[in-house]
Amino acid sequence: MKTRLNFKNLNFQRGQPIFIFIMVVIICFFTGENFLSLHQEDLIIPSSGLSQQLRLSHYLPTLANTPGNTRVFLFEGKEKGGNVLILGGTHPNEPAGFIAATILIENLIIKKGRLFIIPQANLSGFTHNDAFEANPQRFSLPAQDGLRWFRYGSRLTNPIHQWPDPTTYINPSSQKLAGPESRNLNRAYPGSKEGSLTERVAWAIMQLLKTENIHLAIDLHEASPEYPVINAIVFHERAAELAAMTMMDLQMEGFDLRLEASPPNLHGLSHREWGDLTSTLAILLETANASHGRLKGKPSPQLIVKGQDANYVRAARLGRLFVPFDEEGIPLKRRVARHLASIKSLITNLAALYPSQTIKFEYFPSPQLLLKNGFKDFLQIASSSK
Amino acid sequence: MKVIYQLILLWLTLNLTVYLFREKRLSWQLSAGMVLILFILRLLLIK
Repeated sequence: MKTRLNFKNLNFQRGQPIFIFIMVVIICFFTGENFLSLHQEDLIIPSSGLSQQLRLSHYLPTLANTPGNTRVFLFEGKEKGGNVLILGGTHPNEPAGFIAATILIENLIIKKGRLFIIPQANLSGFTHNDAFEANPQRFSLPAQDGLRWFRYGSRLTNPIHQWPDPTTYINPSSQKLAGPESRNLNRAYPGSKEGSLTERVAWAIMQLLKTENIHLAIDLHEASPEYPVINAIVFHERAAELAAMTMMDLQMEGFDLRLEASPPNLHGLSHREWGDLTSTLAILLETANASHGRLKGKPSPQLIVKGQDANYVRAARLGRLFVPFDEEGIPLKRRVARHLASIKSLITNLAALYPSQTIKFEYFPSPQLLLKNGFKDFLQIASSSK
Repeated sequence: MKVIYQLILLWLTLNLTVYLFREKRLSWQLSAGMVLILFILRLLLIK
């Protein structure tokens, strides 16, 4: 068997192979450029109220220089008060959480207490799409200086960063799950210091909760309209009172919301492990996202932003959905406004229940204004970056 | 490990390039070119 390269009979005279080789180089250039662009972090322009920008490696140094080393934004008031963590982008194909976190970072000003915001919790998941879903890589929203692009990622960590999947995944809390769930951040809690990339990210978030003495932690999600746990607050049992008060507030504001208790035997999820293993009050919020569902038509940036889909209108008429769905759809601004209203109400009620854990805002982006005017007023001009 | 992996990829990429220039039939040249794209991308980009 020959093992050496055979350079005999090479045909450099005819243009055909040279032309094909040049085409190969051109295709490699453009696809390579596109591939590298998937690994660029989305633009976030913090407000003047930002106190500090950290990385998750601050809580687990071995995450430095890895695709899991996501940004942590800290807003700190002059007075001491409560400590709250807001997590967006646990699942990067659920954009309302990531965009709600981004709008908070770009607008918040705090007078009392500390607010930690992680907009892209599973940063690796933002670097790829779910195979075979035909989802767009990006969608755009109107900002003050024109359209701004945001990545639409995958529910799971990129297999380039964590491979191969086991046949059965036994997570750090000994729950047995399907193999690909080893790349699902919201099945990996409490994480592991020496585990996979996803488990290390989960471990670092747990460390943040413990070392910063977080009183309330909110994980922002979306789910398909045919999923039963939708437009819901999922709460750990210690946060039941807080969740009930918030549900009443939101219903008065016109956001229909249901309460779902965190199942005690389903381990690895944020609302279970955060509440069991730390002193934080653990909450998970869900909105209804048509681009996330199995019944959706052609995936497109419009479907993500406008949330209109004829298949879901038909499914609603047949009584197959758990939320109302008409021709207006459920646009991203309404889903983000729902998250913002829930966050504000949760923090207000935390102060009512535990006055020493109060957070006071000088400015909090108004969900009602977002519903009325859209994203433009809340996404800042790039040159105003701190 | 990474160096060995990269060397294997480089070896296969060179073989495919040589094959592309030695082969006379257009369809076989195109096939080699298509596979070559994947190998070059894998060699240069996947970390």
